[in-house]
Amino acid sequence: MLIPHPLLGLRDSQEFTYLGDAALMNRPDPATPDAEAVFCDYVFLRDNPAGVHRELWFHEQGDRSWLVVTRDTTTHEILGAELASDVKGAAK
Amino acid sequence: MIDLVTDLTPICALGGTVARIETFGGLTITEHSDLGLASLALRKGQSAPQPFGLTLPDVGQAVSKDSYGAFWTGRDQWMIEGQGQGAIDFAAAVRAEAPGVTVTEQTDGFTAFEIASAQGAAPIEALMRKLVNIDPKALGAGQTTRTGLEHMTVFLIRRADDRLVVIGMRTLAGSLWHALAVAARRLED
Repeated sequence: MLIPHPLLGLRDSQEFTYLGDAALMNRPDPATPDAEAVFCDYVFLRDNPAGVHRELWFHEQGDRSWLVVTRDTTTHEILGAELASDVKGAAK
Repeated sequence: MIDLVTDLTPICALGGTVARIETFGGLTITEHSDLGLASLALRKGQSAPQPFGLTLPDVGQAVSKDSYGAFWTGRDQWMIEGQGQGAIDFAAAVRAEAPGVTVTEQTDGFTAFEIASAQGAAPIEALMRKLVNIDPKALGAGQTTRTGLEHMTVFLIRRADDRLVVIGMRTLAGSLWHALAVAARRLED
């Protein structure tokens, strides 16, 4: 499986380690009154879609960047990859 | 007072008192024991400095000037190389050249093996095909990348068509030499 790194081009997926759902990037605000309940959902609840999924991959044996990889979980087709820092920067 | 034993003998990463060098057909692998290394990273909003007059290169590129070099390791991150600077505080020298940015000593964390070909690019590319999942044609002269080699991570720098440098973790030195030497020996057959 090859992952299209936005800076480095197609790279062997063995260079990467997998973390999980890209929703992990949206850490809730610990200062809000309902923080405990929100963090409970953040830590324990995950969508597990059969189909297109956005997930975090770490280029451990490469440039050490975090990527948001869009993957179809039913076919393993990689539909795209972005730098997580760009995704986070765009959301701000 | 207790007499302290001060007659210590410096050794190279492979354990010898002199750097190892071995030739396999057209390929010569040399342990580069006096390479000073320091990583340089920009903090948010900082612009790139020019340590030792080096223009810090773009993605996947390596540059050198006189006895200094720099190669890209990540976004806004580079490794600075100093030939013959392995026994001094190289990070302090880089920090003096690039105040304000984050500089970290790396000399003692890594070891460099220089692979030189006496028969042009072909043996270097054949060796790469045996060892790394990187297209040798996509790693031309002046280019660099970090990838996996025997499950461990290494930096590759193609200094020229007929010269490749492999920089791996210092604690991996013996195994890394073994991997390179075995692959080079098999190319002789």
